[in-house]
Amino acid sequence: MKYFFFHLMSWPHLPADFDAKYDSAWVWTPNALYDPVKGHELYQEYINSLAYAEELGFDGVCVNEHHQNAYGLMPSPNLIAGALTQRTKKIKIAVIGNALPLYNPPLRVAEEFAMLDVMSNGRLMAGMVVGGGPEYFSYQVEPTTAREKFREALDLIVKAWTTPGPFTWHSKHYYFQYVNPWPTPLQKPHPPIWIPGVGSQETIDFVAQRRYAYMGIPYFHIDVFRKVFAQFREACDKAGYKAAPEQMGWGVPIYVAETDKQAREEFEPGFWYFIKNLLKGIGLTPPGYTSAKSAAAILKNQKYFLYKQETWADIENGVFAIVGSPETVRQKLAHYQKELGAGVVLTGCQVGALRHDLARKSMELLAREVLPKVR
Amino acid sequence: MFNFLQKLKYGARVLLSKGGGQPETIDVAGKSTVISSGGDEKAEPFVYLHSALGESLMWFPFFASFAKKFRVLVPTHPGFGKSGGFDQIADIEDMAFHYIEMFDALGLEQVNLGGVSLGGWIAAEIAVRWPERVKKLWIADAPGLWVEGTPLGDLFRYQQNRDKLREMLFFDPKGAMASLIIKDQPDDLMMLYAYQAMTVLARMVWTRPYDPKLAARLKRIACPTLLLWGDSDKLVPPPYGEEYKKHIAGAEMRLVKDCGHLPMFEKEAEFVEAVTKFCLS
Repeated sequence: MKYFFFHLMSWPHLPADFDAKYDSAWVWTPNALYDPVKGHELYQEYINSLAYAEELGFDGVCVNEHHQNAYGLMPSPNLIAGALTQRTKKIKIAVIGNALPLYNPPLRVAEEFAMLDVMSNGRLMAGMVVGGGPEYFSYQVEPTTAREKFREALDLIVKAWTTPGPFTWHSKHYYFQYVNPWPTPLQKPHPPIWIPGVGSQETIDFVAQRRYAYMGIPYFHIDVFRKVFAQFREACDKAGYKAAPEQMGWGVPIYVAETDKQAREEFEPGFWYFIKNLLKGIGLTPPGYTSAKSAAAILKNQKYFLYKQETWADIENGVFAIVGSPETVRQKLAHYQKELGAGVVLTGCQVGALRHDLARKSMELLAREVLPKVR
Repeated sequence: MFNFLQKLKYGARVLLSKGGGQPETIDVAGKSTVISSGGDEKAEPFVYLHSALGESLMWFPFFASFAKKFRVLVPTHPGFGKSGGFDQIADIEDMAFHYIEMFDALGLEQVNLGGVSLGGWIAAEIAVRWPERVKKLWIADAPGLWVEGTPLGDLFRYQQNRDKLREMLFFDPKGAMASLIIKDQPDDLMMLYAYQAMTVLARMVWTRPYDPKLAARLKRIACPTLLLWGDSDKLVPPPYGEEYKKHIAGAEMRLVKDCGHLPMFEKEAEFVEAVTKFCLS
């Protein structure tokens, strides 16, 4: 089992009346609500806590790309990953991921990921993603060809890493006379490729066929993960091999405190801040970004998404977060990681507006009292 | 109550006019294209290019009105309804080429051409490339150009917000036509068509909601041109009509009073009369 510390770098300082006053935390939310002075402190704290994960014995850290929003303050996760290559020595650095259609040229991703892999001495997990719906509004990237561009860019990047350059590339959306990135990645044939997904059969099949790793992103009902990993194993069987545990990642917020009661009291306010404020608008979907069939399925399945949960019982019943004493968290974690068969857990140890000191205390308890017993 | 009666009356007129449109599917350079037609086959051809609403999918009363004077042809754009070939459409220019291929396939030498919104823009793109194929050109509430300081409405942001859509598209968002066209509870097929429609529109306008080359090309339009605009169009405000007028020699600009983005629905009589008169003059 591998445990990664999954970080969004959320903005915790939204006004108390945010939910009442604004329709979204994405794309058009006025950036006057951002304060760069507080932002400096926040980046310091967030980077420090990511580096602290190595000290505590986590296997890796995850950083994420999002644009023009309060949900995640890493428009360039590669910058944070670059800083982490210098603050850590052993831990894996997973960038999950770069939203390929947003990069023109996508060769930029091949270059920056190769830089990170070389700078970190081969510790990069290269996550690549289509990117969420709101990003297409923020970057004005035409959404109806997003999936085509993603596949082409991914193939281009893998080829750039595995075929000696220079070579010429031509596909529907991209043309390069000279593909020849300097540097090339240190891990051979290339860094592990992680593809974050939210459950579409198309993505599951694709990741299985390519033998990449499927990262089920957090904030869904446990039933969604059950279904997704079953589909993934089946897709690997169809592709002629057995799915390896490290090909399956399960994302889940985790909070540990001295007692169950204390854990809930400390965790809940910051988590509801995340649900009510930061998830607001994340479902914005540009037309053509998915097939009409998938778009209808997304609408139908909204009740499985964290944003739609109203009570603590909803959170507990759906395992939207694992919260409690070390013993409670140990039991639940052991139970679900076994049931799901996932070999990677992306632990959301800092979510929403959780106080920094509490997030650290929880990380310590998780690393010292829980993880050694569930590995 | 008044709204209810108005809706009932319009519904009855739609039923009556329904028999007029004859949807047929023809092959246009590899794209299966649905065309509804009506009117006397020997009358002058009148090609109506629909907006992103996809109003070609039903034979509305205003089509029947045009069919009294013209041979009316209402094609459905690639990607809408049952028309195929969207994979061969990358931008607005491809739409223009699609329609010139359709004119060729139907043996149409010269037509009265026009459209509302997206349809009007496509008509303009056809007219600048093949001016000799257009006898009269009318453009209603169409994007295609850029007017500094006059932002376009954002359909994509509000695609799920039916009140906002009605406000953006209608002078009277509380009126009968607004709730008839933007229904509170669309059925699954309507939802699917709406998603398809927004997908086509996104491919045309997402990267840029206009064609940066169109303004300089508009001088090539050789035929009489009517610009018809809802005076209260909030999606593509009237300055866009003025901008077309600036670039098309002799074009006439006509504002429709108390009308939003969709004159064929909100001010049907005036719309039909203005377009018919212009094409017959």
